Amino acid sequence: MTSFALAWRTAKRYRARTLLAIAGVAVIGALLFDMLLLSRGLLLSFADLLDSSGFDIRVVSGEGLAARLPIADSARLADDIRRLPDVEHVLMIRIEPATVLATGKPPRGISLIGSSDAEQSWRIVKGSSLGSPAAAAEACPVLVTRPLAAALGLTPGDSVSINVRPPGVASALPAVACRIFGIADFAFATNDELTAVTTMEAFRQAMGGGQPDADLVLVSSKPGAPPGRALRAIAGLRTSLRAYSNEDVVAQFNRNGFAYFRQISLVLSSLTMVFAFLLVATLLTVSINQRLGEIAALRALGIGRPRIASMLLWESALLVGGGGLLALPLGQLLALVLDRILRQMPGIPERMHFFVFEPRALAIHLVLLMFTAAAAAVYPVWLTARLPIADTLRREVLGWCRWSKRGMSAGCFRCPPVRWWRCATCHWPSTQASTWRSPGRPAAASRRCCI
Amino acid sequence: MAITGPSGCGKSTLLHLIGCVDTPSSGSLLFERRDTSQLSEAERGRLRLTRIGFVFQRFFLLPMLSAAENVELPQAEAGATASERRARTRELLDYVGLADRADHLPSQLSGGEMQRVAIARALANRPALLVADEPTGELDDETGEHVAALFDRVNAGGTAVLVVTHNPALAARASRRLAMKSGRLVE
Repeated sequence: MTSFALAWRTAKRYRARTLLAIAGVAVIGALLFDMLLLSRGLLLSFADLLDSSGFDIRVVSGEGLAARLPIADSARLADDIRRLPDVEHVLMIRIEPATVLATGKPPRGISLIGSSDAEQSWRIVKGSSLGSPAAAAEACPVLVTRPLAAALGLTPGDSVSINVRPPGVASALPAVACRIFGIADFAFATNDELTAVTTMEAFRQAMGGGQPDADLVLVSSKPGAPPGRALRAIAGLRTSLRAYSNEDVVAQFNRNGFAYFRQISLVLSSLTMVFAFLLVATLLTVSINQRLGEIAALRALGIGRPRIASMLLWESALLVGGGGLLALPLGQLLALVLDRILRQMPGIPERMHFFVFEPRALAIHLVLLMFTAAAAAVYPVWLTARLPIADTLRREVLGWCRWSKRGMSAGCFRCPPVRWWRCATCHWPSTQASTWRSPGRPAAASRRCCI
Repeated sequence: MAITGPSGCGKSTLLHLIGCVDTPSSGSLLFERRDTSQLSEAERGRLRLTRIGFVFQRFFLLPMLSAAENVELPQAEAGATASERRARTRELLDYVGLADRADHLPSQLSGGEMQRVAIARALANRPALLVADEPTGELDDETGEHVAALFDRVNAGGTAVLVVTHNPALAARASRRLAMKSGRLVE
């Protein structure tokens, strides 16, 4: 009979305690698992979003990603970058606030994106893209986001006029007549964002005819190019610019934008671990206190401390392990619900997720639960290791005799089995009838048994 | 040998000392020519496991194990192989007349049956000494008689049996009877 088998049988024997502990650990473990998913969820989701755009380098002005100021002479920069041997594709982007006016609708403020490539970073849900032949023939072809289409009742083929309004500049730019060619989902757009995208040529028209400088240049390296070489080459073109790899962008956001979630996750993970520890440690301690006589008897029979300690460790591992395994589907389900709620916050890109599964989170979850199980067993193990065998056996008998109201001189008879409500099965002869009192019950509730 | 005496006179303490679950505060205690008071806790545990069997008033069988598994437990701790354990357990349960109850849990056994399983468990590692603290304390007269007869057989088989009891009938069966009063043996 191994220690694990003893622990397993104990868990089966005390079913209510076992189920209670497993349910408690499952709920707490689900929260812990969710906190682990949350701690890196946004970061993983953001990295995935960056990677899925097809570009691995971002070039911005010297003021950095947050400022996004126009890059002087960006067209020439783009040409220089295109000539680098490790570069496959270059895309220029410019974003400006604008007002869109549709027939019969009040003007709406939008973000207007000018893109030098007609087929990038969006998914057409209705109509056609800017690269279609019809769009190529149009002076100002436009794709709009679903929220914008819904807000203005726009469908492909509709005409709108767009008026760019650069911030901080008193401008009187003319409105440009544009035609909607499609409704699209943009990778970085939030679920309520009113955005339209057009060609760089149309954007130039909307900006008054001058060549507008891009505020972001996206670059994709050639497949198989040594990592970082294109980035270093781009950085060397103009020292006044900043070039970021996707990893750099994620690291920068990790330091700034996501620290909040990481801290919340750390605090809540620690709390949930403490709860799991307290729950299991309490249940094990109570269970041990109920079984002190049994354990003292085992020790008296020569069963060693290591076996009893390992039995308790296994008991703890079974309770925490059972709950921990249940916590995974429960946590995943909870994560789906919480993710849906959190993604409704304003300013969150539609494709971003707060809770993202990764094997690392699962591994940490299991390690933390193993640690919790071991820690929760420490006090009960200590309790049994220092158990005075003789005193405990004596206390068990004395306690029993006092509790059952029997005199010691009579050898402390009792009605087997232990529970009074089962005394009907007692097989004593009537000469040894005894009054049986249930613990904590008044005398009126006493039963005469074994008669 | 039977030890009798009023409650609180020290019978159980003496039993615990002899059974090596307690150590004397002064003096020495020899078991098979070894001073047990000089042994470490681990050594005394090993001594209890292999040379001393315990029978308790409240049986203290593990409730989640069957009768056979309860008997197997000390053998497993002593390092017996599975086949050795099975054979010895079958032999012992047959010896105490419970071969047909081997797979029953303690909750499915009567008080007398539980005590017989406890005796089988105590004999599992072929001890030289069997100590019993009020072994009939929870049993009716008839069942107590059966348990007492079992002790006679154990003793006849070469195992020393030391019983602390209030039961005059059980004490009367012992080849040597000692009485205690206020912590001292008086006869």
